[in-house]
Amino acid sequence: MASISPPIHQQRRARLRRVLTDFPLSIGISALLACFISLVTGRFLENMLVSVLIGIVAFTIVYGGRLLFIKRLVWRLREWAMFAALAVLAAPVAHFTGLYTAGLLLGIRTPTLAEYPSADRISMIVFTFLGTTLMVVLIRNRERMRRAQEEQAEAHLRAQIIERQALQAQLRLLQAQIEPHMLFNTLANLQGLIALDPARASDMLDQLIQYLRATLSVSRSETTTLEQEFAAMGAYLGLMGVRMGERLRYRLELPPALRSARLPTMLLQPLVENAIVHGVEPKIDGGEITISAAIEGDSLVLDVRDTGLGLGPGLGQAPARRGGGVGVATSRERLEALYGERASMTLNPAQPQGTLARLTLPLEFDE
Amino acid sequence: MTRALIAEDEPILAATLARTLQGLWPGLDIVATAPNGVVAVEQALALRPDVLFLDIRMPGQSGLEVAEELAERWDGPAPFPHIVFVTAFDDYAVQAFEHAAFDYVLKPVSSARLGKTVERLRGALETRTALAPDALGQLLGQLQALAPRAASSERLTTIRAAVGNAVRMIPVPDVVYFQAIDKYVNVVTADAEALIRVPLKELLPQLDSAQFRQVSRSTVVNMGCVTSAVRDDLGKVMLTLRGRPEKPRVSPVYAHLFRQM
Repeated sequence: MASISPPIHQQRRARLRRVLTDFPLSIGISALLACFISLVTGRFLENMLVSVLIGIVAFTIVYGGRLLFIKRLVWRLREWAMFAALAVLAAPVAHFTGLYTAGLLLGIRTPTLAEYPSADRISMIVFTFLGTTLMVVLIRNRERMRRAQEEQAEAHLRAQIIERQALQAQLRLLQAQIEPHMLFNTLANLQGLIALDPARASDMLDQLIQYLRATLSVSRSETTTLEQEFAAMGAYLGLMGVRMGERLRYRLELPPALRSARLPTMLLQPLVENAIVHGVEPKIDGGEITISAAIEGDSLVLDVRDTGLGLGPGLGQAPARRGGGVGVATSRERLEALYGERASMTLNPAQPQGTLARLTLPLEFDE
Repeated sequence: MTRALIAEDEPILAATLARTLQGLWPGLDIVATAPNGVVAVEQALALRPDVLFLDIRMPGQSGLEVAEELAERWDGPAPFPHIVFVTAFDDYAVQAFEHAAFDYVLKPVSSARLGKTVERLRGALETRTALAPDALGQLLGQLQALAPRAASSERLTTIRAAVGNAVRMIPVPDVVYFQAIDKYVNVVTADAEALIRVPLKELLPQLDSAQFRQVSRSTVVNMGCVTSAVRDDLGKVMLTLRGRPEKPRVSPVYAHLFRQM
């Protein structure tokens, strides 16, 4: 799955924003500590300046180190250890630099490096260390919350994308199955028959319902029996028979022994629709369609034969056609995915005219 | 009395349209219903109706092809008929009709919508506003531009034509014109001709539409080879081509391609 990460310049900007919001937090902590120290020693302003300067240096070291070395989003022991090392390093450096700078600014004497190894100084360094730790833990906490929010938003977005893709796929599938042209023409006939011959209109509506149910309600992973599939094709050809009148003749030949044979849904239908839409319907005199099933070895062979226009010379393969064309292509892909070498679909010119579409697949029966 | 012809391959739909029309327009005489495009052309030429209702998807010839052929073959005193196209769902075609000078109705036909069409037709017949053949040419051009291109129909660069046992390779830019003859197309270059077994309809979408233009139902010319277009006394336009003696006729539908700037 494609990750949904923003482009690099956006990542950079987000990081800068994070530094800018985290920085006041560390200053705040420094100020808090200064107040605390002032309670014990007095000299509030002096302490405040020293503390803030120490805070700035510590923040710079720890944050810089973090950005440079700790890339992981989730902190494990290794990352915490790395951070602890940074804090341990940062505490004396920050303390000394901060104090020294404050001394320069205020014009007071500050302890030199030689004076540092005293209990007093070391306790202050430990104090700085604790302050730094507090700062990082708070920042880390804030970051985790932010991350959780981002992840939630991202998951939401991803779910939406998946949903949309699924919907689009379903729509494509439906369009491949039922050509709008076919549906509207059938409805137009139905509308006409209601006035001309209500009894026939009712029959036609039954067939339309049966056809729509067979076509729309099946899930692609399911299988069906040949008996059901032939009934659906009977309904479809019945509909087309009403529409085309004498121009369409059809036969369905299903040996009783094969009634309960199983096959994936929506394999036969595109071939039959193809025979109508590209074979018999565009031919002035119309033609005949024969659907038959037979056993050959341990395979099931389904033939859809029409006496329509035929495949035609064309400039290579026939142009990709709407409806049936998509259906045939997807049927072929599904056959390949389901059975691999054991199944095939062929389209050949029939004699003396028309097209013979043949499906060969492993013979399977109902339990 | 106004006379109409209905071309529709589905018998129930033809009967329904006739019935609805008669209800809306008692003075309308439906002189014939044609079951396919080929019969529609013949009957229209024989009966010269005032109004044509043409289904777009029909066997033999589409409604658009019927209109095109009629525009080419229409002669005599009777004015060219008013055409109403009838179509089931066809997104791109409907898009083209939105901008065309032709009326169209969608199947299933709503009686209210057909009523509007009838009103419009009556108005046009009263004021005798005839449609210029140009309008059809523009509609066909738009349809061609909007038609979904098949994935396999990439632009053709070479024509492979069988001549005896050999296959001749003809670079498409060398072709002066294509001439449809039944199911074949005659490919004509400055110095040779060759037959290919591809219908013109299938060939056309694979040609560069800026260079190769249809000038009549059966002829597609290389515009780069046209040296002049001459209009005769009857208003018929003929083309002179570089390197060929033939002078192909331009259908009135496409005459606007050869009008002065």
